[in-house]
Amino acid sequence: MKDEDIDDVLKRAARAPVELEQETLQRVTDSIKLSLRPVRPLPPNWVMAGGLVLVCGAVSVAGAARAGFLGFEKMDIFERALIFSALIALAWVAAIGFVHEMIPGSLRRLSPGALLGSVTVTLLAVLAFLFRDYRTDHFLSLGVICLVTGLVHSVPVVLLSWLLLRRGFALNTITAGLVAGMLGGLAGVGVLELHCPNFQAAHVLVWHTAVVPVSGAAGALVAWALRFRTSLNERSSRKI
Amino acid sequence: MRPDSNLETLMARYQQGDPDAAATLVDQVSPQLHRFFIVRLGNRADADDLLQETWLRIHKVRHTYRASEPALPWFYAIARHIRVDHYRKSVRNTLGERNLEAISKDAATAPAEYDRAAGLEALLAPLPESQREVIEMLKVEGMSLEEVARATSSSVGSVKQKVHRAYKKLRETISATGFKRDQSEGLS
Repeated sequence: MKDEDIDDVLKRAARAPVELEQETLQRVTDSIKLSLRPVRPLPPNWVMAGGLVLVCGAVSVAGAARAGFLGFEKMDIFERALIFSALIALAWVAAIGFVHEMIPGSLRRLSPGALLGSVTVTLLAVLAFLFRDYRTDHFLSLGVICLVTGLVHSVPVVLLSWLLLRRGFALNTITAGLVAGMLGGLAGVGVLELHCPNFQAAHVLVWHTAVVPVSGAAGALVAWALRFRTSLNERSSRKI
Repeated sequence: MRPDSNLETLMARYQQGDPDAAATLVDQVSPQLHRFFIVRLGNRADADDLLQETWLRIHKVRHTYRASEPALPWFYAIARHIRVDHYRKSVRNTLGERNLEAISKDAATAPAEYDRAAGLEALLAPLPESQREVIEMLKVEGMSLEEVARATSSSVGSVKQKVHRAYKKLRETISATGFKRDQSEGLS
C-alpha cells in the first residue's frame, strides 16, 4: 500500500456521515443557553505579556532595592546594557510562552521544554561572554545563597503572573507551571544581577543561571502536585 | 468550502451572548467533535457525555477565544483536553497504575460500536497516541498543519515530524501484515 492508498482510506473515513442524535444537540444547546450572557474577551497577547514583564521588572527592582544595588554599581555601562537588555528580551519570550499556555489554540514556535532550554542557554552565553574572572572562591557557600535568593524572588512573580492571567485556561497545568516558573526564575536572575557583586564566572554561570531551570522545574512540580491533589479530591468525593 | 468558514464570526457573536449563534455553533461543530471522541472510544454513550462536557467547558472559557484567531483549533484544543482528562480518570478509576498508552491501545482493540470508526482505528492502531490524533485531525478532519499545531499545543515542525513518522510506521506495518483492501472497504 502506498501513501496515496492510506490517504484514500482516511479520506473515505472523513466522508462517512456522523450520526449524532438531534436530542443530544438540543440538550447541549439548552444547557448553554441557560447561562448565556456577553463575555469580555481577553486582551491582546502583547498587553498580557507586557504586564508580565512589568511584574518581573518590579519584583527584581524591589528585591534589589531591599538588598542593595551592589552588582549594578560594580558593572560598567556595556555590561549593564547587555545583561539587562538580554534579561528583558528573555522575560518577554517567557511571558509570551506563558500567555500561549493560558490560551487554548495558541500557535507555539517551541515546546515549553525547548523554550526553557533555549532561554537557559542564551543566558549562559551572555553571562559567559561578560564574566572572565575564573577564580572559584567560596563557590558553594556563596552560590547556594544566590540560588536561594533568586528562587525566593521568583515566587511572588509566579503568583502575580497567575493572578494576572487568571482568566486564561491552561490546557496543561504542568507545562504552564514550568513556563511560569521560568518567568519567575528570570526575575530572580534580575535580582541577582542587580544585587550580587560576585563577578566570578563560575559563580555567575552556575548559581545565577541555575535559578531559571530550578524555578521552572519547581513550577512544574507544584502544578503537578496541585493537579494530583485535585484528582484525589475528585476520587474521594465520588466514593462518598 | 469548509463548513467552519464562518465559525470565527459565530464565535464572536457567541461571546456577545447571541443565542442563535450559540445554537448554530453547536450544530456545526458537534458532529466533528463527536467523531473525534467516538473514533477513540468506540462507544456512543461515552462520546455523547464527552461532547456535552466539552461544550460546558467551551461555554465556561469562551472568553479565551480571540476573534483574530482560527476557531476550529480552539474547539479541538479544548476537546482534546477533555479527552485526555477522560483517559486519565479512566486509568485512575479502573486500572490504577497502567499508563495512558495502554488505555488507548485497549480502546483501539476494543469492539467498536461503529464499523467505520473500527476500520479507521484498525488502520491507525499501530501508531502512538500523539501520531494518531495528528493523522485524524489532518487527514480525517481536513485541518491544516498550522491548525493541527494549534489544536495539539505543538509547533508546525513537530506536527510535520509526527505525520512523517506516522506514514513511515503505517507503510511498514501494512507491508508486514498486509492491510487487506476489504478491511478498508468498511470505511467507504
